[in-house]
Amino acid sequence: MSSVNEAEFVDAISASHSESIESATILRSKRVSVVVKLEAILEVAEALRDEYGFKTPSAAGGVDYNREDRMQMIYYLFNPDSKITLTYRVDLPRDDPSLPTLTGIWEAMSFHEREAHEMFGIEFEGHSNMIPLLITPDWRGGYPLRKDFKGEAPAE
Amino acid sequence: MSEPTITPDIMRISWGPQHPMSGQTRILLDLDGEKIHKITADLGFTHRGMEKILENRTFLKGIIPIERMAMIDTPNIGIGYVMATEEVLGIEVPERANWIRSLVCEMSRISSHLYAFGLQVEATGFFPAVFLWTTADRVLLLDLLEELTGARFSYNFFLPGGVMKDLPEGFEDRVIEIVHYLRRRFKDYWTAMIENVLFEIRCNDVGILTPENAIRLGACGPVVRGSGQPIDVRRDEPYAAYADLDFDVITEPACDSMARTKVRFREIGESLKMMEQIANEIPGGPIRTRFPLFTRSKPGEAYSRVETARGEMGIHMFTNVGMNPYRVKINSPSLRHMYIFERLCELDRMTMADVPVVVNSLDVWYLDADR
Amino acid sequence: MVEESVELKRALDWVPGSGAVYSIVDYVAGWARKYSIWPMHFVTGCCGPEFMQTSGVEYDMERLGILPFASVRQCDCIMVIGVVSRKMAIRVKYLYEQMGEPKWVVSVGACPTGKGPFFDSYGAVPVDEYVPVDIYIPGCPPRPEAMIHGMMLLQDMIKNEKRIGVKRE
Repeated sequence: MSSVNEAEFVDAISASHSESIESATILRSKRVSVVVKLEAILEVAEALRDEYGFKTPSAAGGVDYNREDRMQMIYYLFNPDSKITLTYRVDLPRDDPSLPTLTGIWEAMSFHEREAHEMFGIEFEGHSNMIPLLITPDWRGGYPLRKDFKGEAPAE
Repeated sequence: MSEPTITPDIMRISWGPQHPMSGQTRILLDLDGEKIHKITADLGFTHRGMEKILENRTFLKGIIPIERMAMIDTPNIGIGYVMATEEVLGIEVPERANWIRSLVCEMSRISSHLYAFGLQVEATGFFPAVFLWTTADRVLLLDLLEELTGARFSYNFFLPGGVMKDLPEGFEDRVIEIVHYLRRRFKDYWTAMIENVLFEIRCNDVGILTPENAIRLGACGPVVRGSGQPIDVRRDEPYAAYADLDFDVITEPACDSMARTKVRFREIGESLKMMEQIANEIPGGPIRTRFPLFTRSKPGEAYSRVETARGEMGIHMFTNVGMNPYRVKINSPSLRHMYIFERLCELDRMTMADVPVVVNSLDVWYLDADR
Repeated sequence: MVEESVELKRALDWVPGSGAVYSIVDYVAGWARKYSIWPMHFVTGCCGPEFMQTSGVEYDMERLGILPFASVRQCDCIMVIGVVSRKMAIRVKYLYEQMGEPKWVVSVGACPTGKGPFFDSYGAVPVDEYVPVDIYIPGCPPRPEAMIHGMMLLQDMIKNEKRIGVKRE
C-alpha cells in the first residue's frame, strides 16, 4: 500500500504495530512522525520500507535534550509515490546512547550515521565503516553538537 | 583514513583538495589499470559547523550564515530557512512577496545550472571556452540581481514575513529582455555542446543509475529526474508562488550522465518560462508583514523542504522558549549524492576518464555536503 | 620575503658601483615578477564562484598576468579563497612549504582573515595561524574590484622587493 495519504498511514501503522511504537502523528500536510521504542526499531523500519513504501532515505540526525536527560535520533524517510516525508524517531538515554544501525535496511544512511556518531557520540551497533566523516581524525575536543560542548580545541 | 591494501594490481590515487577540478574534497580512487575498483570520499574540508552556529544566532541573524552554504545558489537555501522560521512562529507572507521570492529563486537556479554546465564541459576536457561563455551570460543575471538586492552572490534578501525591497521601476521589462536573449543563447549552447559528437561519446552510457537504484540510494533533484522519476518539490509541495505558475517537471529516460546534464539544461528553459510569467503577471500589494526584531518563540518544530538547483534540501527547526532556535538540522542534497557517487563504480563499470564526467553530472557542491 | 629595514648584504657589494647595477636588476626583476603572478588553483571555500567570475569575461584578471595554474611547484602565490577548516589548513601549510621561493600568500574573503560570519565556529580557523599572509582582501564575498585592487597591492609589494644576490646569514 504505497500510495496512501497521511491519515490512512497513521491509522494503519498504529493498528498493526501498536506495541512497538509510542506515537504516530500527523504534523501537517505531507509530514508524519513516528516515535518507536528502541527494541522494535528494526522490525518497524522493515515494515516501513516494504509495506508502506518509504523507500528513499533522505537523512538522519540527532537532537540533544540535555535538560530531559535524553537524546533523540531522527531518520528522515520519503515515499516517492505519495510524496510523504516521515520522521522516524527513537529516544535514547543520554549517558549511553546506542542503537542498532539501519544501514541494513536503507543503505544510504551510512554517511548520516557516521556524522551522528562524531557529532553526538551515538553508537551504532553493526555499522561497517565507523570513521569520522567531517571532523579531522585526531580531534579530541568532544562531541560538538551536544549542548554542553564548550568549543574545546582539538589535540594538536 | 583506512590503510590501503597493497596488492600488485590495485593503485590508490588521492585526487586531492588541491586540484583544478576536484572541488574542495579528497577522493581516493583505487585503480586496477584504468578501471575503478573502489571510490572513497573524504569529506569535511569545508566543515564550518553550520548547525552549531545557527543555535547561537537569533532567527533573523541566522539567515546570514546559512546562505553561505552554497554560494552559487543562495536564495534557494535562504528560502528554506525563512519558511521554517515562518512556520514555527506563525507568520503569513503576502502574495506579492511570494512572487518576488519565486523570481529571485528562478534567476539563481538558472545561474547555478549554467555554472554547473560550464564546469562539466571544462571537466570533460574541453578548454574553458564554454565556461567563459557561461560567465558572460551570468553577468546579465548577476547585474539584475544586484540592482534588486544590492549583492552579487549572497543576497540575504528574504526575511521572515516577506522580502526586503520592492522591484524597482522598469524591472519587469529588463527581465523580459534577458529572457529573450537567454533563449537565443540556449539554442547556441544546445547545438554547440549537447549535440556535439565528442561530448556525446564522453557522456553517453556513463554512470548509469537505474530508477530502482536512484530511489533506493536516496537521489533527489536532477539526479532522480535524469532517471525518469518526476519528483520535484516545487510540484509535490508547492511553496512561494509555484502553485500559480505553469511549468513542466523535466525528466529524461536514459539514466546516464548525459541525461542528468540534459535535465539541468532543459530546466533552464522552464525557469525562463517562469520568469516571463512572473514579470507579466505579478500581483500588487504589500511586500512584507511586520516581523518584530526581538521575537521569542514557543516550543515547536517545523520541517521545510525546498528545491535547490542541486536537489531537495530540508531544514528541520526545533524551538524552545527563547530568541534562538534550539536545534537546526540541515539535510543537504550533495551529501546524498556523494554516497551515490561512491556506489556508482560498483553498479556500473567506470574508468578513470569517466570520473570527472560522473562527478560533475551529479553536481555535488562540497560546501553543501559539509555544511 | 626580505624586510626593508635590515641592512642588506648583497653578494657583489665589494664591487664599486654595484648599487646602481643592483637597482636596475631589481627593477627589471620586479617588473617581470609582478606581471606574472601565477596563483595556485586552490579554492577552499565559498568565495570560489566570485573568484571565477572575476577571472571571467567582465573583470578579466588574466590581463594582469594572473593565471591560475595547476601544479604547486610551478606557481608563486597561494590565494586562499574562502573559509578554511582545520583539515584544509594543514594542506595549505604543506602546499606553502612545497612552493619554491619567491612566494606570497593572499587571503581572499573575510573567512580566512578572521573567520568572517562563522566567528564562533569550532571548525573554521584563520589562515594566518598556519602560513604567513601578505595581503588580506576582506569582503563576503569581496567584489571583483576589491580582488583586483588587492592583487595590484601585491604587485606594488613585489615591485619594491629586493631579492637578487641577497646573502642570507
